[in-house]
Amino acid sequence: MKAVYIIYNQSLTEEVQEILDKLSIRGYTQWTGVTGRGSVKGEPHEGTHTWPELNNAHLTIIEDAQVDTLLNKLKSFNKSIEEQGLRAFVWDIVNMV
Amino acid sequence: MSLYSTAVKKPISTIMITIGVVILGIFSYLQLPVDFFPKIDPPIISVFTFYPGANAADVEENITRKLEDGFGSLSNLKKITSKSKDNLSSITLEFEWGSNLDEATNEVRNAVGMAERNLPEEVESPTILKINTGMIPVIVLSVTSTESYEGIKDIIDKKLVQPLNRIEGVGNIIQMGAPTRAIMVDVDPRKLDAYNLTVEQISGILAANNLNLPSGNLEMGSSDLPLRLQGQFENSDIIKNIIISNRNGNTVYLKDVATVSDGLKDVKTYERANGRKNVRIMIQKQSDANTVTVADKVKEKLAQLEQKLPPDVKVNILLDTSTNTIASINNLSETLIYALLFVVLVVMLFLGRGRATLIISLSIPISLISGFIYMYLSGGTINIITLSSLSIAIGMVVDDSIVVLENITKKLEKGGFARESAIYGTSEVSLAVIASTLTIVAVFLPLTMLGGITGILFRPLGWVVTISVITSVIVSLTLVPMLSTKILKTNTPDRKKIGGKIYWFSQNLLEKLDIIFEKILSWAVGHRWAVIGIASVIFISSMFFVKLIGTEFMPASDNDRISAEVKLAQGTKLDVTVLTAQHLDSIFREKYSEIDIVSTSAGVGDENSLSAIFSETGNYIINYTFKMKPLKERQRDIFQIADEMRKDIEKLPEVEKFYVDPGSSRGSAAMGMGGGSNLEVKIYGNDFDETNLVSEKIDRVLKNIEGTKDVLISRDKEKTELQLVLDNAKMTSFGLNTASVATVVRNRINGVVSTKYKEDGNEYEVIVRYDEQYRQSTEDINNISIMTPSGKLIKLSEIASLKRFYSPPNIERENKVRMVKVSSALSGTDVGTVIATVQNEMKNMDIPNDVDIEFGGSAENMADSFRDLIMLIILSLVLVYIVMASQFESLTEPFIIMFSIPFAFTGVFLALYIFGSTINVISLIGIVMLIGIVVKNGIILVDYTNLLVDRGYSLKQATISAGRSRLRPVLMTSLTMILAMIPMIVTTGSGSEMWRPMAIAIFGGLTFSTVVTLILIPTIYAIFGVGKIKRERRTNKKIQTN
Repeated sequence: MKAVYIIYNQSLTEEVQEILDKLSIRGYTQWTGVTGRGSVKGEPHEGTHTWPELNNAHLTIIEDAQVDTLLNKLKSFNKSIEEQGLRAFVWDIVNMV
Repeated sequence: MSLYSTAVKKPISTIMITIGVVILGIFSYLQLPVDFFPKIDPPIISVFTFYPGANAADVEENITRKLEDGFGSLSNLKKITSKSKDNLSSITLEFEWGSNLDEATNEVRNAVGMAERNLPEEVESPTILKINTGMIPVIVLSVTSTESYEGIKDIIDKKLVQPLNRIEGVGNIIQMGAPTRAIMVDVDPRKLDAYNLTVEQISGILAANNLNLPSGNLEMGSSDLPLRLQGQFENSDIIKNIIISNRNGNTVYLKDVATVSDGLKDVKTYERANGRKNVRIMIQKQSDANTVTVADKVKEKLAQLEQKLPPDVKVNILLDTSTNTIASINNLSETLIYALLFVVLVVMLFLGRGRATLIISLSIPISLISGFIYMYLSGGTINIITLSSLSIAIGMVVDDSIVVLENITKKLEKGGFARESAIYGTSEVSLAVIASTLTIVAVFLPLTMLGGITGILFRPLGWVVTISVITSVIVSLTLVPMLSTKILKTNTPDRKKIGGKIYWFSQNLLEKLDIIFEKILSWAVGHRWAVIGIASVIFISSMFFVKLIGTEFMPASDNDRISAEVKLAQGTKLDVTVLTAQHLDSIFREKYSEIDIVSTSAGVGDENSLSAIFSETGNYIINYTFKMKPLKERQRDIFQIADEMRKDIEKLPEVEKFYVDPGSSRGSAAMGMGGGSNLEVKIYGNDFDETNLVSEKIDRVLKNIEGTKDVLISRDKEKTELQLVLDNAKMTSFGLNTASVATVVRNRINGVVSTKYKEDGNEYEVIVRYDEQYRQSTEDINNISIMTPSGKLIKLSEIASLKRFYSPPNIERENKVRMVKVSSALSGTDVGTVIATVQNEMKNMDIPNDVDIEFGGSAENMADSFRDLIMLIILSLVLVYIVMASQFESLTEPFIIMFSIPFAFTGVFLALYIFGSTINVISLIGIVMLIGIVVKNGIILVDYTNLLVDRGYSLKQATISAGRSRLRPVLMTSLTMILAMIPMIVTTGSGSEMWRPMAIAIFGGLTFSTVVTLILIPTIYAIFGVGKIKRERRTNKKIQTN
């Protein structure tokens, strides 16, 4: 099992959700209105007057086999909307209840 | 869920609510009555008291003073003015605006009740009258006739007045100049003496012979029949054959001692319309009825009634207050449409995209329509103030939508998706949009708290703009994002299509502008102090312009009306006055083709009529009312024509005083408003001679000042009176007293109404008096025979002598002190200048210590209103600062932004000077509005510069690129407003004089301040920013050294 943490400009919420739905990924946790900025480039998304944009985040725990499909989908989606900002990070799940 | 995401996610609800609001608005619009101004109820109560037979001084002493003393304690009383003239005391009580007039009326009634006990016995009970705008006649008809003239009164009564009175909303109908039928019994005093008869006896005999009397019931057999005596005159011919005496067996008929004629009562008036015999009918409305509605109904009814009139009777509309209102409103509505068109064009030019322009344009009608809903709910009307407010709102309601749409477009161009871009794009700017609207509200809402006449005029303006702007925010946060998800497109327009050509043309143009502006701005930021220096010089030098611009209370407007009054020498006979009237009549009709109808009247109509409030009447006074052709059909305006007329009247040597009043504004001036400017110099002092002398000096000064017209002294010259001085000892020795002698004299000269002759249900007076040839000289008076109680005939000269003496014809008082007014209409100059000149001249005058001089007229109103408005400007400045300070969470930034305000004033003064307008209430309101409008530019600039500084730009970089990037939004919001004003400036039709100054002020102020703001504000920002950085460095150093 792997955890995929997707953080994206909140303008993309519906599309991200759609990608998950299409891959029949049911479980997730969502944070809305989170702030942050990229390490290299990309505008800060801080919800302030200066940087008005905000991010949402999805955390979904999926089977290892699904990870690549999801990341590929996200990658191609990100290409079409590069200025908006979308990142996904994957890490291992060690245990769960 | 936020407002905008709900709106975007529920497009149908959003559209339905919008449609609902639009329908409500259209419904309100259709229900709204039309008027020229908002409803104004002047807080004025008048008290009239008739004291028959008393001269002005008596009236003043015995009535006016006593009543005035009683009024001293009334609450909210602002001013008492009074006029005592022969027979009549009229006191005008002016209360503070907004006082409860019903309460005031009660208080006045109580005070009158208290004072009444001290009044002389012969005085009639005082009449208390609340003055309202309903008293200004809505329509004045002129009825001319030839053959039917003698019976015209009955025709008018039955066929015009009665049906018109039944129309809803019609109040009083007053007839002026209608001849009254009467049966005149003109006796020959010599014959009376010969038969040992008196006027009173004849009068008694006539009354006794004209009688119907029930004489009881008669029981005859089985029936019971009422018995009546029918003695009334069956026709007027019978009267002359009445037997009045049987002397020595000879029957004396009335015709033996008198000529009996069935004709018209002594004509004491002269009434003509276009030279034809004329009766004027004034139709007043009920105070809460609407002028235009009433006028329409009256005109409609009139068309039907005219067909039933005899063919020689012609009815013309002499004055119709509604035509000017309708013309002005149509005119203004037209400018509103042009303003809308201009705004849409500006948006199109800047955005270059049809669909975006459509979304923004849609927000205009919706926001404006909410204004109509307010007007309807508040019981208001469509008037030039509310319509002007809409014109102002047009330029502002698009701003919010533009900001929202721009941000949404930016998101879409970054590749965002429609719905989310709309929601988050709106969410990001929502606070900024609300804050910038708050600055507008901060300026317009205080307008609704204004007091006085300015308050009544501009409260609706404050509300309409506030409501429209608030609606526009709501629209920009709901409808605009919703529509942008549905119809907005972001693909780059095709260069080959028409839409694309427009887009690329405008974008290229704006691009060039951006580059030029960036160059200017970088120079300015580099030469900060030079820029500040130049700006200060511009601002300070503009202050000198103020002196070149005139001031007035309210602009005068051409309403197709002129009225004039011409006074001949006191005591001139009506017949002589009529000659002058006819002469002037023919001059006017020949010389001025612009005149549609001229109505002339001279002489006294009903002496005791209240219509005397609005115009002065007398045998030596001629009143003119001119109805001019509509403005579009003439070359000259009423002011030019009035100037010419003045020259014509001046040429006549018999004229003592006159005025020509273009716009007939004197009536409304009496109610505390009215356009045009006039100046009154009030001279207070109890001594007639002293004040007369001063008033004449001031009169001369005023006449020498360029631009003063119709300079008049309100106190007429002393007039000659004939007074009967009774010898009491002789009078009592004959068994007579003052009252009996007075009645006898009055009955012979003025006549006695002995009885009334009835015909067709109408009653006509039968008047007995001396034949005209026996009441023409002092000799005739001396020869009046009086019958003593013992039956002996004596001559009046035996007990009384006639003396000539002089008395003041009218005594005016203000706040219980006698006053003379020297008034002057002004054209081509302004009140401020004239007052300054008069004050200067007064220094050289030898004015007695107990004579005080004050300035009044529209100057007084002006001072009151200007004080209010300057307070309002200060209040607006403070409120705008408060809003901005909390928006920026900074004390210095609002201060920087407010530097654009002085330059708005510079622009206003420049524009007023260039367009030849004046500083008046209307242009001052424009200035107040500018405060809210011009800071918006500053907010856009400073806000974005702050943002760039926060994003890590250097100060210089931030100011320059913020300036460049905000150039378009600033130009766009300013241009929408500026262009919305242009139609109001260039339109010259009816009523345009009223709204033009406001449009000029906003146009000039905003144009100038926008140009200055774009360069000056970044410069000042840079200075403050540099200071801030230096301070920070200093503190850093301190920290390091510590």
